[in-house]
Amino acid sequence: MKRALPAALLTLSLALAAGCDGSGGGDADQANAATGPITIWLSNNQEELAWGKAMVASWNGQHADQKITAQEIPAGKSSEEVIGAAITAGNAPCLIWNTAPAAIPQFQKQGGLVALDSFDGGAQYIADRTGDTAEQYKSPDGKFYQLPWKSNPVMIFYNKDIFAKAGLDPEKPALSTYDEFLTAARKIKSSGAAQAAIYPAPSSEFFQSWFDFYPLFAAETGGTQLVQDNKAQFNSPQGQAVANFWKTLYGEGLAPKEMYNGDAFADKKSAMAIVGPWAVKVYGDKVKWGAVPVPTSTGKPAAEIKTFSDAKNVAMYSACQNRATAWEVMKFATSQEQDGKLLDATGQMPLRKDLQTAYPDYFAKNADYKQFAEFAGRTVEVPNVPNSVAIWQAFRDAYSESVIFGKKPVADSFAGAAEKVDQLASGS
Amino acid sequence: MRRWPNVVRYFLLFLGALIFLFPFYYMLIGSLQSSPDTSIKGAFPTGGLTLDNYQDINSRVDLLGSLVNSGIFTGGVLLGTVVFGTIAGYALARLQWRGRGVLFALVLLVQVIPFQLLLIPLYVLIVRGYGLADNYLGMILPFAINTTAVFVFRQFFLQLPDDLFAAARLDGAGEVRILWSVALPLVRPALLTAILLTFIGPWNEFLWPFLVTKDADMQPLAVSLANYISTVSARAANPFGAILAGACVLAAPAVALFIAFQRQFISTDIGSGVKG
Amino acid sequence: MTAATQNRAAGLLGRHPVGMILAAPYAVYLAIIFAYPFGFSVWMSFHDYFFAAPGAIVDHPFVGLDNYKAALTDPAVGQAFKNILVFLVINVPLTTGLALVLAVALNRVVHARTFLRVSFYVPYVTASVAVVGVWLFLFNSGGLVNSLLGPLAPDPSWLVNEGWAMPVIAFFVTWKQLGFFILLYLAALQNVPNELYESASVDGANGWNKFWSVTVPAVRSSTALVVILALITGANLFTEPYLLTGGGGPNGASASPVLIMYQRGIQQGEPDFAAALGVLLVLGTLVVAYINRRFIEGRDS
Repeated sequence: MKRALPAALLTLSLALAAGCDGSGGGDADQANAATGPITIWLSNNQEELAWGKAMVASWNGQHADQKITAQEIPAGKSSEEVIGAAITAGNAPCLIWNTAPAAIPQFQKQGGLVALDSFDGGAQYIADRTGDTAEQYKSPDGKFYQLPWKSNPVMIFYNKDIFAKAGLDPEKPALSTYDEFLTAARKIKSSGAAQAAIYPAPSSEFFQSWFDFYPLFAAETGGTQLVQDNKAQFNSPQGQAVANFWKTLYGEGLAPKEMYNGDAFADKKSAMAIVGPWAVKVYGDKVKWGAVPVPTSTGKPAAEIKTFSDAKNVAMYSACQNRATAWEVMKFATSQEQDGKLLDATGQMPLRKDLQTAYPDYFAKNADYKQFAEFAGRTVEVPNVPNSVAIWQAFRDAYSESVIFGKKPVADSFAGAAEKVDQLASGS
Repeated sequence: MRRWPNVVRYFLLFLGALIFLFPFYYMLIGSLQSSPDTSIKGAFPTGGLTLDNYQDINSRVDLLGSLVNSGIFTGGVLLGTVVFGTIAGYALARLQWRGRGVLFALVLLVQVIPFQLLLIPLYVLIVRGYGLADNYLGMILPFAINTTAVFVFRQFFLQLPDDLFAAARLDGAGEVRILWSVALPLVRPALLTAILLTFIGPWNEFLWPFLVTKDADMQPLAVSLANYISTVSARAANPFGAILAGACVLAAPAVALFIAFQRQFISTDIGSGVKG
Repeated sequence: MTAATQNRAAGLLGRHPVGMILAAPYAVYLAIIFAYPFGFSVWMSFHDYFFAAPGAIVDHPFVGLDNYKAALTDPAVGQAFKNILVFLVINVPLTTGLALVLAVALNRVVHARTFLRVSFYVPYVTASVAVVGVWLFLFNSGGLVNSLLGPLAPDPSWLVNEGWAMPVIAFFVTWKQLGFFILLYLAALQNVPNELYESASVDGANGWNKFWSVTVPAVRSSTALVVILALITGANLFTEPYLLTGGGGPNGASASPVLIMYQRGIQQGEPDFAAALGVLLVLGTLVVAYINRRFIEGRDS
């Protein structure tokens, strides 16, 4: 009995594992042509959900035999687990409207995604809608496994009241070079106008670097991704300059090392924040804010500055049976009309090359969003490479060790991380 | 024991109770604030409290429906654990049969395995193998018989004096009869402790029921509230307050149940029934 | 059942074959719910594996002990095991000691019984997600704890101090779980015969003596239970470093093995590595639990 049990377990598990790999799937060509009802998942943040429900209603009104069922998944931490588990179990929906680009390489490796190029005119549709920016969303095999949907190009928000209190110009603050930024930050701190000059989350989750290091790195390098040609790019003089800039902020206590429970900018504990256009709605009247591009060492003019896109995309999952319908829904929901509604409802920027000319009324009415729209064409995405999440975690660990907690020189930590990242990016 | 100075004991107990309660008290106050006040004075407000955070939850979450789902989920787990867990615990503690050692080793093993290790294979098994997505049974299954509770049952059956069982067997009682009329009544406090332990798991569990249910009408309170928290935390007028209000809503039924039943946990007569 | 049949069956099925029937539902339950996922995890730990969609054609070659080697040589894993050791050294004795002392004190309480018991129990019923928020407020640099300590407050503050992050988590878990362990002890105390105390009194023992010579030995098997459960809770620590220190910070000083399993296995798509780490963790916990049983339970059958 004692010896038989483990052996029995193993046999059982192998049999079940084999069963899992063998069944399901179905003929891809057949699925690509099939139409019928589909299920989609929407992110559960209020504004996006409102848009999504209206979009579904308007589609369902016209397509009685191809109805969409929409379900919600949280926008936060656990969405990638849920999608990963659903892919493995074969019960993922047809479309997910909030697929993080960083998760695409893993889902693709799992065989969970449908290449959109397999539809007639698929690649062309993406190129026509998004323009050159779309290139960043192509996978290493040259195919699109995601439809670039919307971006949240990030900028620096500052609190005008705090700036005035600190004796800084609240209308045109000098924040374009590192020196200017540091001078302003020291003044904010020493004058006691706010506890912190800026307060990015100092925690170790892999995605936190998107909102401190990466936007400044994109600006400093003129648009280099963290990894290019399977090589880590951050261990360069520019990358180290960005890191040392943050290290100064942390070292002098201008940026706190402790997690803040809540929103430091909204609570007026921090004078600045790195945010996307969603912030316009959120901070609206609560804070008197202004926005400037992220700083660079030399103070590049705003028109040359690139920034992190914080994009969310749409992907089609291989469990989908009625893929022809799913593809039509994808196009329907990213049409100029629906994109306009999305912009109206959420303030997030549809990834369209004609963004500003397509919706002149909106930008005339909402001048606050115009500066974000200008950046929308100059965004840098996370690299679409194997082991994407592991790479960001390796980078974050090195960053946390050297920049936030100052245990090691930046050069040492970055060199170690670059070696690890090179290895991960080459797919091993 | 009687010589323990009473005053000192009460003083220390009350002090401990206050320390234990303070974070909870603070949670309650925080949930009633219209804007977060993290100063020390904020912990002892004199006014300005509001129920807005609760009203907001009520307008966004189907509280009653979620509560019913939570009840079914937790009730199913409790039923499975009480019925099958007690008898398994008894068999493990008091009876000698072939395979007992193996099963007890498995009890230890299962407790020691972190749930995160099993998460995805278990999900594949239940959703794909058994087809139980969006189903109460799918929610209940991984927790259906709480292994820690089985372990606790075993331990308490072990503690009962051997003579008691020898006497009952001499009287010619069968093993099932001994379990039912001798052993079970004696371990009632333990039974309630184990029920409590079992209750907390599914009541606060978020990840599993969330993975299994995508249909909002099927989701238990912990899932609805976690979804609510994840959306409002960035957007609400007072995100901190909203989170704390959600936590209070989740905790309130559990605390209420405990207060209602706590007298049952320690029934002072039981001790005298067991004479060694 | 006659004595004769009992004896015949004893050879094959044990002295009480009915035990098999009583334990059967639970055994079947374990087989259908845990056998496959766990067997599968063990299998995974010896292969180059990642989760794939049904129908996807992927190769999962056997790699022997490679995943184990990778897990054992990963510095983050070593750090996590060290962290958990710190956690256990603080949490287990504190939990056991406090739970027993408080249970004995509460057992004799006549006034305000409900209030006192509920107070110690409330943290246990409350979801971690919620109380973590409050602890962050208490332990951050401008928080209540530091205001009380004044110049004695550590710098950097608790949760971002590499030396203090893990102890704070250990205190948090002690606080959170204590109510349950108090209840375990309270239930056990009901079974301690009063005569033992009475005869000890006759022998002239004072309260302290009675605690050590009567209470502690009488609840010994509960102590074994409490220690094992506290050990297991500690070994499976996840939620607290995930939420309280933002993913095991500062600088990995509060990362736990399960947190790393979660990061590598679920977030980063390396379930084979995570499975190997999980198996190592399970083995480690079993060894510690076994040693503990030997020490505390002693004479147990």
